[in-house]
Amino acid sequence: MFFWGARRITRVVEAYVGEYASGKSEVAVNRALEMVAWDEPVTLVDLDLVEPCYTLRPIKKELQALGVDVIAWETGDSIGWGETGNILKAEAKWALRRPGNIVFDVGYGVDGAKSLNLVEGLAGEPSFKVIIVINISRPMTAGVDDIVALVKGLDKVDGLINNTHLGDETTPEVVQEGARVVTSAARKLGLPVIATTAVKEIAAQLGSYDAEGNLVRPLKRYMPRSFW
Amino acid sequence: MAEKVIAGEKRVFMTGNEVVAWAALAAGAEIMYGYPITPQNEIMHYWTRLAPKYNRKFLQTEDELSAGFTTVGGVMAGKRAFTATAGPGNTLMQEPISMAEAMRLPFVAMIIQRGGPSTGTVIYSQQEVMMTVLGGNGEGLRIVYSTANHQELFDYSIKAFDTAWKYRFPTFVLADGYQGKMREPLTIYDPDDRGIKISDTEPYVGRPGTPGVDRPPGHYRNTYNVEEELYEVLQDHIKDFESIADEVSEYESMASDDAELLVVAHGVVARAAKQATEALRQQGLKVGYFRPITLRPLPSTPLREAVNRAGRMLVVESAYGQLGRLLKEALYGATAEFIPYYKPGVGFTPEEIMARCRELIT
Amino acid sequence: MAEKPAMPASWRVESKPHKFCPGCGHGIALRALGQAIDELGIQDRTVFGCDIGCSLLAWDFFNVDTIQTHHGRTTPVMVGVKRANPDLICIAYMGDGGGYAIGAQHLVNAASRNDKITAILINNTQYAMTGGQMAPTTMPGQKTETTPYGRDPELTGLPAQGPEMIATITPEGAYVARGTVSKLRQLKKMMVRALKCQMEGRGFSFIEVLSTCPTNWRTNARETWSFLEEKMPQYFQIGEIKIPVSEGDADE
Repeated sequence: MFFWGARRITRVVEAYVGEYASGKSEVAVNRALEMVAWDEPVTLVDLDLVEPCYTLRPIKKELQALGVDVIAWETGDSIGWGETGNILKAEAKWALRRPGNIVFDVGYGVDGAKSLNLVEGLAGEPSFKVIIVINISRPMTAGVDDIVALVKGLDKVDGLINNTHLGDETTPEVVQEGARVVTSAARKLGLPVIATTAVKEIAAQLGSYDAEGNLVRPLKRYMPRSFW
Repeated sequence: MAEKVIAGEKRVFMTGNEVVAWAALAAGAEIMYGYPITPQNEIMHYWTRLAPKYNRKFLQTEDELSAGFTTVGGVMAGKRAFTATAGPGNTLMQEPISMAEAMRLPFVAMIIQRGGPSTGTVIYSQQEVMMTVLGGNGEGLRIVYSTANHQELFDYSIKAFDTAWKYRFPTFVLADGYQGKMREPLTIYDPDDRGIKISDTEPYVGRPGTPGVDRPPGHYRNTYNVEEELYEVLQDHIKDFESIADEVSEYESMASDDAELLVVAHGVVARAAKQATEALRQQGLKVGYFRPITLRPLPSTPLREAVNRAGRMLVVESAYGQLGRLLKEALYGATAEFIPYYKPGVGFTPEEIMARCRELIT
Repeated sequence: MAEKPAMPASWRVESKPHKFCPGCGHGIALRALGQAIDELGIQDRTVFGCDIGCSLLAWDFFNVDTIQTHHGRTTPVMVGVKRANPDLICIAYMGDGGGYAIGAQHLVNAASRNDKITAILINNTQYAMTGGQMAPTTMPGQKTETTPYGRDPELTGLPAQGPEMIATITPEGAYVARGTVSKLRQLKKMMVRALKCQMEGRGFSFIEVLSTCPTNWRTNARETWSFLEEKMPQYFQIGEIKIPVSEGDADE
């Protein structure tokens, strides 16, 4: 039921979790934008409790113009990013009260997943899914065993996404190697690989499915390229 | 060292802070002492995740004074010890660093600059140049590498441990919040596999034998009675520092042979300066690029040569003339026109630098 | 006694006679420490750290490896050594200004982390090396260079109760005592116990030593002794405040 592109009956509540630079924010943003086309309200929640200044803030306005309701700090909302305790937006805590589909971009590494506890009602939400975004070019999730250990350390995981890349140096081979490792880890964990994601140009070279038979989803890049 | 941290060369994608943690592991760093401050926190986060797997240690101290002084202790126990800090933390750390400078200790610190003065911003600046290079109540007998990309962060973080123990001067990797948080690909490796030797460590205290019986005691001090006594010690240190300057100093330059305008920048700003220079050259403008990699000691001779050839220099930095002041000192007596382009605490795009160069050249 | 007591074996003969003023208590405290090092046989693996202030004069006092640090920073330097090489026995030797004022955050945090080091703090009720200013330990009414009319507790508080504070913030296993240079045997025993606490990995150990400073007190021998023996104990209670449970017996 959470294959991308498929319409479904119940609401979508998904949290994207991953290491720094796994690309989880990009995946979450693309997912939220995809759902705009379903003609239902979509809310994207920036759940980076440690460094909210670094994630969705710079593209909040752009996303809102595209039809996604974004819960994220804006520059004028606070001072001393990273220094003060002004971190969790009340709107984020109550995000599930909103109608429509909700996507959480869970920041600050995999440990950030714990911050999902702060969202009211999430534990009892039947359609809630936690998706781990993996880039095997990151040394801490480079091997099957690393990924298995990481996922086992989390309370709830419903699926993996292979988002292996090397920034501008990404090639189809890099992504396919990621698919191999992530798929193998998923098998060990008994979890589905929801998709392999890659920027459009690479996705086009991969075709509809990667070498492991996982669905390939093209990504459009929204996250600022220059800094983070 | 027990097992290899990095087996074979690996192309990876990481944030800069994480790169530093991996580099320290690869360099055989044995213990990190640290205190939380943004934007360097992930150095500690990754170090604490990785360290137990490789039998390395970590101590979270009560402040940066303590982080610096415990690092001094770790080094004197003969371990490859290091710390990391930023901004106001760097300010506090100048005290222990001055002790390390006085006693010629191989103290290694990673400085991830943030905006100042005071608490400033947690995000970015190049405003800790003067403090890192010349801070404390001393003469700035330190070695400072200013990195521009993740590959360099990895390479120079490893190199810092070698340099520190080889020459026994406090050694710094000076980066910034953008580099710390930015993500980009790099190749990580075990230095040994590339034939990179890292100088051996040696304990100052706790060497074998009983002091006064089998060996003289190690009595280490930073206090002297009279001016002449201190003067003599400092003369030796200054002489040593000057004698290694050519060997230690590093720079990068491009298209500076026939340049009529030389863009000078360091760190992450040098990326934009280099891109701007490349683009302007393609358009036929005689612009050159010079980047000191070591801010202390500065590569004075090649700098002077490049500046004298060009006759004009545009100094670009995310500070109000900190690199500028160092350059002026190194270039004293040169007649080149010195054109500042300072934006304290704010980054530069290649387009901005190109625009400024065009104004100056046409 | 007609003849001088023998120097502890761990003392460095070449640096004797030492540089402390006549009547200064540092020499006695360092004698107790030297005897303790001898008794425990740890001269080869002891690292002695000394602070700024008069404790600095001990930088070449022992035939043990010694680091002279910055004011208040001896504790973190010794913590750094100990964490890097736990086989070494690390002693942070400081004055009351170094421990309770400028370095208080280090002392408090090393104690609450239960770092396995031994801190020895000499309490002579003022800053001696800088000319006799008020310290956290200066007694009410006591005249110093910065309290020329006597310390007014209303303005500057009461004397710091260091060992009592350290005893409160350390876990069981730590050793905390207050000794005096007027009771050398007791002081040596405290030093032995403090060092054993470290050697056995039980925890932080701390001794405040009531000491004398006739130079800055401007006292003759009789007045010096009566200040130490009669005045100081009015605020500073001598004895072991916290001992590891298995040690059993307390004071002599």
